[in-house]
Formats: sequence, structure tokens, C-alpha cells
Amino acid sequence: MNYELVCGLETHVELATKTKIFCSCTTEFGAEPNTHCCPVCIGLPGTLPKLNKAVVEYAVTAGLATHCEINPDAKMDRKNYVYPDLPKAYQISEYDQPLCRNGYVELASGKKIRLTRIHIEEDAGKLVHERGNTLIDYNRGGVPLIEIVSEPDIRSIGEAAEYVEQLQAIMRYIGVSDCKMQEGSLRCDVNVSVRPQGSDRLGTRTEIKNMNSFSHMTKAIQYEMDRQIDLLESGEDVVQETRRYNEETGCTEGMRGKEDANDYRYFRDPDLVAIRVTDDMVAALKAKMPEGPQKRLARFQTEYGLPEADARLLIDRRRIADYFEAAAKGTKNPRTVANCILGPIFSRLDSDAAKDEFRVSVSPENLNALVGLLDAGKIRKNLVKSTLEKMLDTGKPAAAFLSEKDLAGVNPDDLRKICEQAAADNPNAVKDYRGGKEKALKAVLGAVMKMTRGRANPQEAEKILTQIMKA
Amino acid sequence: MVTHEDVLKIANLAKLSVAPEELDGLTKDMNEIIAFADTVSAASADVSDFDNINGLSNVFREDVPVPSYRREDILKNAESSEDGYFLVRRRR
Ligand SMILES: [Zn+2]
Repeated sequence: MNYELVCGLETHVELATKTKIFCSCTTEFGAEPNTHCCPVCIGLPGTLPKLNKAVVEYAVTAGLATHCEINPDAKMDRKNYVYPDLPKAYQISEYDQPLCRNGYVELASGKKIRLTRIHIEEDAGKLVHERGNTLIDYNRGGVPLIEIVSEPDIRSIGEAAEYVEQLQAIMRYIGVSDCKMQEGSLRCDVNVSVRPQGSDRLGTRTEIKNMNSFSHMTKAIQYEMDRQIDLLESGEDVVQETRRYNEETGCTEGMRGKEDANDYRYFRDPDLVAIRVTDDMVAALKAKMPEGPQKRLARFQTEYGLPEADARLLIDRRRIADYFEAAAKGTKNPRTVANCILGPIFSRLDSDAAKDEFRVSVSPENLNALVGLLDAGKIRKNLVKSTLEKMLDTGKPAAAFLSEKDLAGVNPDDLRKICEQAAADNPNAVKDYRGGKEKALKAVLGAVMKMTRGRANPQEAEKILTQIMKA
Repeated sequence: MVTHEDVLKIANLAKLSVAPEELDGLTKDMNEIIAFADTVSAASADVSDFDNINGLSNVFREDVPVPSYRREDILKNAESSEDGYFLVRRRR
């Protein structure tokens, strides 16, 4: 029998706020353990949480970017469980009134993966297990998260990966999170079940916790699918449970002792007041939202005449797309700007991380000035690339590498003489032109450019040639 | 009515161990606590939104960092610590 995958994801995204969700400790990553803590985020008795306004704004913005309805009447609840990563023995989250509901993320195929909800909550501390003991660092405790819950609309491992990539791109674009999987600022819990192809019933699902890389996630889903199919084929049942992916063995394993964990005894946090998201707040956030990647992709093709593949490479990272737009400002040659980035600049950024950072020694203004010389007919295209390479090596502007001779072009009297010479050298082309073949002028123009080694302004030369050849 | 099973389940969730001889007493206590709380439901009131009784909303904090506490102070109440971490020893 053929089986199909039915998969939904719960994606945790750490928000890019400066401070934690309920206290003013910094959210900076990578500090010494327990140096970003205060009585609130280590859960000392008598402390009171106060909600960070930016958390609400970021979460609503994330909801708007994923076509969600914004809940005008949200609140926060306590999710109770006893584990050392949670000093209060409860996590403050949102249970039945999340900030955002009913959205979707669109895949390249046009298929929509529906989102059930997006809610805000606090992250837990980090546990280090050593010689049977547990060491706890609460720096991450209280860092704001949004949890994005999808419907079980995903039908293949490819779709799962694309969905996460899309979320990553959207969240980075709107500046809500850097979504670095390797630093844990984006992590997924994956719900997996299988069913006979064509069936509309849902099978029993298992949940694989805490996937923090694309390769682990795809391997874990594949392993879990195969395991469930084996069980069903041999007449056994899939048990609904939480599983962990073992990176060493490439297998998923049941997590024992979690059977009671679903009894979280949620109730409203009496220390926190209602969150009322007004229409005005939503409108203000909408107005501040940058253009999404999908819209920008379309605009790069229509406004700048870029081929889709090139536009895609540029919009993939907002930093690069912004750089392109600054460098292409007002130019007649936006495709040359794109080629400068996708060619010489990209070849110096050899990893994804380097492209994420996009540290380039040439400012967009300097690239804009270089292409401006091309626009003005002061340099030819072939000089653009070689000059850019020198600029990238040194960080200096184009003027530093172009000699006066390069920039001066050819003076009008000389140019006229050269044009006359070129016309005399190509009598057949002149005859053709006079006979009505306008294209013949190009051949003579080519000769002029060759004689001036590209320094002539082609528009000027064309004007002079037209006069000469018409006569 | 709260049963022995309910008490054991709640104790388990709270990571408490309950001796068999304590079970009768605790079950009785819990029933009495719940009965006491029921007197609230019996009272009549004009307010219907008990969930948000103070009527407040949108009490926010600006996203501006303030220096955190010194680590010695953070770890001061810890039963044990090691290398700047809170230490939870393995139970024997
Ligand atoms: Zn704090």
C-alpha cells in the first residue's frame, strides 16, 4: 500500500526584542551563565511580570505578515509543569485567546499551509546535563517567543522544509527575528502521521520535539514516517506520544514519563492584565511593515526588469535586496547593478552565513556612482566589472581607479574626424544605410568604438555618424 | 467528589510523594477546600467578567534594557551552584 505523510508544525521563533518579555534584562545571546537575570526571570516569590510592548507589536506584525486575524481581546495564561528549566514551575503563555489566528503561508506551488494560531510566551532556561547532575543557566529564561502553529496541511518532507524556509524568510523580512536555527532562535516541533494514499482520515500522530536544523528535521520526519508505516504494515498501532530525534543514531525515540505532561492546568495569569489590540494599533503596525518578500519579488521584475531567477537571489535576504535598491537608485542599468551583486560581490561571500551578514567593502552609494558613469556614457560595460573588483579589494570609490583618459572620453573634434574615417573605411555600410538599411549604421559605430578603444560616447558617435552618412 | 486517584494525580504533577496513610486525610482536606471555594459561586454579584476583574488592559513596559543583577546575588539563594550555574544534584 502507498502511504502519504500528514504533517503539521509548531515553530518557536525568538523575537528580536532588546529585553525579555516580562523584565528589562537583555536578550543578548552568548553571555556567561546567569548574568542576564533578575528576580523576575528567575521566578523569585513576590516579583511581578510586566509585559514588553514590543513583544505584542512583533507578534501582531508576524500575524499580519502571515495573513492572520488579529485577536482584539487577548490574555495570558499559566501553563503549569514542574521542570528545572522553569523556575516558577509554570510558563506564561497564551491558551485560549492567542494574539493571532487563522492565517496561512503560501508555498511556491501556490499551496497554502494554514496557520491555526500565533501566540506569545516566555522561553525556558537552558539545562546542561553533566555526570548525572544538571546545571541551569536562566539567561534564556524569559526571552520572548512566538509559537506559530500550522494545520496538518503538509504532505511531503519537501513541503515541510519549504514551509520553514518561508517562515524564516518572512520573519527576517519584517525584522521580527533573525531565525538562526543554529543559535536556537528558530526551533520546530513536528507532528507526524501517515495514512493510506487518498484516505481522508487522519492517522494517530506522534510529536517530534525540538528540531533545530533543516537536515535533522527532514531526517527525523523520514525516519518517523518509515517507522509508522512499518507498524501499520505489520498490523500494529501507532501510539500517540512525544518523541525525540537522536542525532547520533538518526532514529526517533519515545520520551518516557511524559504521559502526564499534557495536564498543564492552564489558567489566566492573575498578575497580568488583558491585552486589547485596537484597530488603531493594527493600522499603525501595518503602516510600519516593510514590503513582504513575495511582493518585492514581483516588483523587482516589473520595476527593474530583472529576470525572475536573479530577483529571487536578491530578495532572499532583505539586507541584500535593500543594498540592491540603494545601488540601483535612478540608474538606467539596474540589470548591471544586479549582475555586480550576483557576480563579483557574491563570489566573495562563499557561505550562507557570509551572505546573511552581507559585509561588503563597497557601499551601495559607491556602486551607484560606478553605474552612474555607465549611464552617462563615460565608461563602457566591460570597465564596470574590472573597476568593481578593484573597489571590492580596496573599499575605495570608482574614481580612484579610472584615469582621466578613461573618463574624459574623446573630444568632439577628434570624434568627428574618427567618425569620418570610419565611414570612409566602410563604403558598403554607408551605401546600405543610404539605401534604407538603418542597421548598417551599427557596423560603422562598431568601428568607431574599436578605434577609440571604447572611450567614445556611443550616443554622441551615433549622432555624428547619422549626419555624415545621410549626406 | 475528589477521589484518592485525583489526589495521587495532582501530587504526581506537583512532584510530591504521598504516603498511603496520608491519602485519606488529604482527600478529605481537598474536598473541604473545594466545598469552601464553592461558596463563591453561590454568591450573587453584578460583575460577570470574573476573569478580568480589575478591568485593566495594556499595561506595557518599553523595550529598554536595564542592567541585570550580579551573578553572586542571583545565585545567593541557590541550594548549590557550580561555575556560575544553578546546580541540581542527581537524586540518590
Ligand atoms: Zn530579568
